[in-house]
Amino acid sequence: MSPAGFFEADGRRLSRGGIVLLMAPFFGLILFAFFYPLLSLISISVLEPQPTVENYQRVFDNPVYARVLFRTLRIAVLVSLLSLALSFPLALVMANSRGPKAIFLAACVLLPFWSSVLVRTAAWAVLLQRNGLINQGLQAIGLTTEPLTLLYTQGAVVVAMTHVLMPFMVLPIYGALRNIPTDYSRAAAICGAGPLRTFREVTLPLAMPGVIGGFILVFLTALGFFITPALLGSPQEMMIATLISQQMRELLDWPFAAALVGVLTLFVTAMTLAFSRVFRFDRMMGGRA
Amino acid sequence: MNPRSLLLNAYVYAVLAFILVPILIILPMAFSETAYLTFPPQGFTLRWFGEFFASSRWMDAMWFSLRIALFTAITTAVVGTMATYALVRGAGRLGTLFQALLIGPIVVPHIALAVALYLFFQQTGLSGTTIGYVFAHTIIALPFTVFTVAAALSSVDPALEDAAMSCGATRFTAFRLITLPIILPNVISGALFAFIISFDEPVVAFFLAGIRDKTLPRMMFDDIEQNLTPIIPAIAVLLTALSIAILLGAALLRRVAARNAATPEQT
Amino acid sequence: MTVATAPQARGASIQIEKLEKQFGAVRAVDNVSLTIAAGEFIALLGPSGSGKSTVLMSLAGFERPTAGRILIDGQDCTALPPYKRNIGMVFQNYTLFPHLSVVDNVAFPLKMRGIAKADRHRQAEAALEIVRLGGYGQRMPKQLSGGQQQRVALARAIVYRPHVLLMDEPLSALDKNLREEMQLEIKRLHSELGLTVVFVTHDQSEALTMADRIAILKSGKLQQVSPARELYERPSNLFAASFIGEMNMLPVEWDGKVARLLSGGAIAIEPSSVIEPVQPGKSVLAVRPERLWITGPEDAGAWPATIRDVVYAGAGTLVIAELAGGTEVRIRLPSNTISGLSAGQVVGLTCPPDAALLYRADQAA
Repeated sequence: MSPAGFFEADGRRLSRGGIVLLMAPFFGLILFAFFYPLLSLISISVLEPQPTVENYQRVFDNPVYARVLFRTLRIAVLVSLLSLALSFPLALVMANSRGPKAIFLAACVLLPFWSSVLVRTAAWAVLLQRNGLINQGLQAIGLTTEPLTLLYTQGAVVVAMTHVLMPFMVLPIYGALRNIPTDYSRAAAICGAGPLRTFREVTLPLAMPGVIGGFILVFLTALGFFITPALLGSPQEMMIATLISQQMRELLDWPFAAALVGVLTLFVTAMTLAFSRVFRFDRMMGGRA
Repeated sequence: MNPRSLLLNAYVYAVLAFILVPILIILPMAFSETAYLTFPPQGFTLRWFGEFFASSRWMDAMWFSLRIALFTAITTAVVGTMATYALVRGAGRLGTLFQALLIGPIVVPHIALAVALYLFFQQTGLSGTTIGYVFAHTIIALPFTVFTVAAALSSVDPALEDAAMSCGATRFTAFRLITLPIILPNVISGALFAFIISFDEPVVAFFLAGIRDKTLPRMMFDDIEQNLTPIIPAIAVLLTALSIAILLGAALLRRVAARNAATPEQT
Repeated sequence: MTVATAPQARGASIQIEKLEKQFGAVRAVDNVSLTIAAGEFIALLGPSGSGKSTVLMSLAGFERPTAGRILIDGQDCTALPPYKRNIGMVFQNYTLFPHLSVVDNVAFPLKMRGIAKADRHRQAEAALEIVRLGGYGQRMPKQLSGGQQQRVALARAIVYRPHVLLMDEPLSALDKNLREEMQLEIKRLHSELGLTVVFVTHDQSEALTMADRIAILKSGKLQQVSPARELYERPSNLFAASFIGEMNMLPVEWDGKVARLLSGGAIAIEPSSVIEPVQPGKSVLAVRPERLWITGPEDAGAWPATIRDVVYAGAGTLVIAELAGGTEVRIRLPSNTISGLSAGQVVGLTCPPDAALLYRADQAA
């Protein structure tokens, strides 16, 4: 059947067969290379060596692994809060600036996007070395007399992850702030609200969806983050991603690794669905350039 | 300027320093003559770049990554455009399913996908193959490419294709000669995104790698962990330059597309 | 000051002295001086770019003038920030806070003034009653129509009994019927509350119907400030003449007493019809279409003209005629006073002496 006849049904709308044919490669790919492998992996966690929940029990009951979960949550929350503290003022100034200043700020925020996670993590590895720049600086201004061990600590992981994930917080907040028409702050002012009150009563509430969206985005990404904890963290203080790696590649404990993956994936997916209104993926699909 | 906004601006510039300093520090280190990493860099040399291009293991990794990225870009562009076209031209419930499934690779952490694919590829014999990586990277890049193409497609008036068909063209010809040229900048832009996502992708590459089939990011990871020499900053310089070039190109293409879309209104 | 439920606001006088606002090389407001009496309803009228909005924004405090002063009730407010001026303002796009209910929107200014919740809700509800939206307090702005939103904006602007109300083209986003209804509503509020209203608009018929006085601006300069009737019947220059209503502009030769049409025919101009000084020579004769009469072409003093088009429009008829030489003249007459007119007919045009106004020819209108 020639493509011509296949794609026209009633001459105007794309035929059912045409639609199926066009979407088939996508569905094939996503089912074959995404959903099936994932479900297959998670099924291992409940089916090996026989149908059981003991892999999941191990995750939560064993204090070592429970600590990993808590540590991951704690680090993700810290990274999110730190990102918020850094990103909100930046987004605020960006939203209020025009012309060259606005372009400069945008370029600075987007610059990290132009270098991969590895490059940025490597930069922190270099900065935090014993004879790295930060230690040199601290000793130069006299705060310390010996080099501190900054690398392979939770602090290093938190700082580097904040650095990597910050743009994901800045952009949604900036977007939300820009969407507030200037007349609102004028209306508030003429009603008697000074700049601080206008910010608290009008600007902040209207920007809240962007703030929450950014926060959730950074939080969820930080939970499953691998590269930075793997390179900058210590093996004694693992996050869930590095634990998964260890279980899978070094200890070859597949069912347990699968259980860990299951816990992470289910938690992240559940939270995303709960906050799906804030993300508004549907709006990204059509019409937004 | 009142003291409050002075404080705010000072704080923001401190934040900017936090963002920029690590990247600005590591890039000049690529030119240092010393074999250890130091700042400020001493001397000026391009020998690390030379070592990179002369090393067979680095070159193998680079070509491997380039091959994968190229195929990923093409596959993502083709699969993504086909599916998006069907979506925008009235896919109904299948379209809703499409949108729901597309969210998957964004929501699910890359490590979950990496581990799942590692196992899956072992079972299906795709371990270490280029096509295995291409599948994985296409999945990861698809949502971004689809967003770019969907934005363009939904701003193209479907009546244009109808007009072409009333002139005697088949739908496929109408798409090829009318719609595709209009959305081409966005399709290429989406392909470029897919390229750079694939080329820089570190997590899946980490888990899928065997002894010989390492991508460039995977090899970088090893060296950062065990053997941090100025070659790493040199590669960082190259990668950053590539990213900037590609993202600027994509942005330029989108600008071209916007201008093309605007002209009909101006007549 | 306690606020009674029966509104007893009074207006404040406004003095604008030599106001100037420069944006780079552009002078948006050029030496504008205006005295507005307490309780007056004045319209700032002009095309876009005339500076009317900039003047209003300066009154509100959102623009800092580059020169000049603004006094409200005798106090110099030029440097006062907007949130300290205690004036009300209604914006073009209603600008209701979308995250607050209607009553919270209206009560917002009272919250800024530290009034307790129960009190301010009570006053807000009273304000909503005044704009006839009582009972709508619990709704959210997006549930209201455009006209209702504008009325809530009005309620918010008057709830704290300001002495001055600024309105920035508040009705241009509404459709025609709603606009007329709101015009009456605003006039009613004005007479009930007695506040001073400064109303910016580009719609000259809106200005004519609503305002006590109209200030016409063009390119940042004040052209004329007069009550509506005077503005319409005796515009002070060609721009004002052409901006308000329809006006026929006929080229004439002026010798100080008589204006001669280049196409033949003449008319003696009374001294009072020469509003701005006009030197003898080429000038412009301005006549409103509804002041012209059609008679026979041979009648004494009539200007000969050929009818090009007769457009019947119900109560009135528009006759488009052409003087010899090509100048188009528009005549509006009640339909029942004319009959038998058709294109191609040669007629004579006359007008009463006080309807013919003379202006300089060198202005770009």
